[in-house]
Amino acid sequence: MSLVNFTTREITCKIVYYGPGRSGKTTNLQYIYGRVPDDRRGRMVSLATETERTLFFDFLPLELGTISGFTTRFHLYTVPGQVYYNSTRKLVLQGADGVVFVADSQVRQLDENIESLQNLQSNLIEMDDDMRSMPLVLQYNKQDLPPQLILRPLELDEALNFWGLPSFASDALRGVGVFETLKAISEQVLRKLSEEASQ
Amino acid sequence: MTHPYVRLLDQVTRVGGVRGVMLVVADDGLVVAESLMEGIRGGAVAALAASLTRRLAMVTKTSAVGELGFLQLQAEEGTLAIVPAPAGVLVVAVGGSDMNVGLARLEMLRVAEVVR
Amino acid sequence: MRRTRAVEAWTIEPLNRFVVESGARFTLLMTPAGQVLAQHGFTRAVDVMASAALGAAIFSSTGEIARMLGEREFRALNHQGRQYGVFLGALDTDRGKLLVLVVYGSDSSLGLVQLFFDDLAEQLVVAAPVPEVRRGPILAADFERELNESLASLFGR
Repeated sequence: MSLVNFTTREITCKIVYYGPGRSGKTTNLQYIYGRVPDDRRGRMVSLATETERTLFFDFLPLELGTISGFTTRFHLYTVPGQVYYNSTRKLVLQGADGVVFVADSQVRQLDENIESLQNLQSNLIEMDDDMRSMPLVLQYNKQDLPPQLILRPLELDEALNFWGLPSFASDALRGVGVFETLKAISEQVLRKLSEEASQ
Repeated sequence: MTHPYVRLLDQVTRVGGVRGVMLVVADDGLVVAESLMEGIRGGAVAALAASLTRRLAMVTKTSAVGELGFLQLQAEEGTLAIVPAPAGVLVVAVGGSDMNVGLARLEMLRVAEVVR
Repeated sequence: MRRTRAVEAWTIEPLNRFVVESGARFTLLMTPAGQVLAQHGFTRAVDVMASAALGAAIFSSTGEIARMLGEREFRALNHQGRQYGVFLGALDTDRGKLLVLVVYGSDSSLGLVQLFFDDLAEQLVVAAPVPEVRRGPILAADFERELNESLASLFGR
């Protein structure tokens, strides 16, 4: 849940990068970490296994600057993608203000993407939330791979994007689409936060 | 079943004027065993007594007068006595102004020997 | 000099008192999602946020273990190192559930931290305001423009 303080005029939001194992969630954060100036970001914390796979989460705090007079911070988290880490995923998802679903565009990973998206849906429902109320964008990663190995964004939209959510093709390793994805989820999260307060 | 340490403490509580006695971990200030009358905040006394003992042990060390062996605080309505045991445990006794401090000290030293 | 910084001012007095009484090196008051409400002793903002995220994670993951054991949650946890100990405690206030992360050194102890944490929790419960309900949008209608500028400068575009 976002933290809005009217006295000190600060907003802190939590954005979670979700998706199947090895889809590129950590790579998104690593790219952002590498691009953002030191004074605009905190230390990136990665709780990973010895083989560098996310065990609990990665965490990256970002200072966006001042928006409508509010000092705005985003806390970016990733979840572990492996199926058997669901209890950990639920913990990281708690209090999320927005979710980026990072799909692996490889043809052979389609089932994993679907399974992970279904898992996201059931975890959100368990938290009295759902896909329609949670700000959510999709990112189709690894679009740099040879065409015969991957599904194109339109095909992935058909397979995964039943809700007509914003979706972005990406190559997170080289940063393609990372910025656009973050921008889209940021807009959605802040718009929802503002709308909720006006009700 | 009563813990053997609590039975051990009974030899101190039997002394006249003693209202409670505890074994406290010197580093943590946590209670290991206690035998206290109603109304004594064991956890609070333990934490503060351990903190005080640590500081006073530094004073005796700095003053080159050796290890702290026995500590007695005489207050308006009673007495707090502390014996540091070798095992990193403190024997802490709380008593009224009528507490027989000499005998209590003797029994506390005996307890300290046993928990060594 | 180390000092207390607070996002929410009502936390300052109880926190200052706690720090003095318990001898804590670092203290962090946060939401269960790891958002910082106040801190004492941390000199770099970045480490505050990382500590908060990790503290909240410890609390929520051990909470799962508690539930497996049929406990509602653990109200307090302690991790003991050689030089430092980390204490994590939870309290319920009108402001919602809050977590306190305390790092203490050899000049304090778990007993002292626990003792004064109970006092801190009581004082915070009394001081916590009921969250006010705000009417009207928080952000200006054209907040996207500012957001885009912020993100563009963030990414050096």
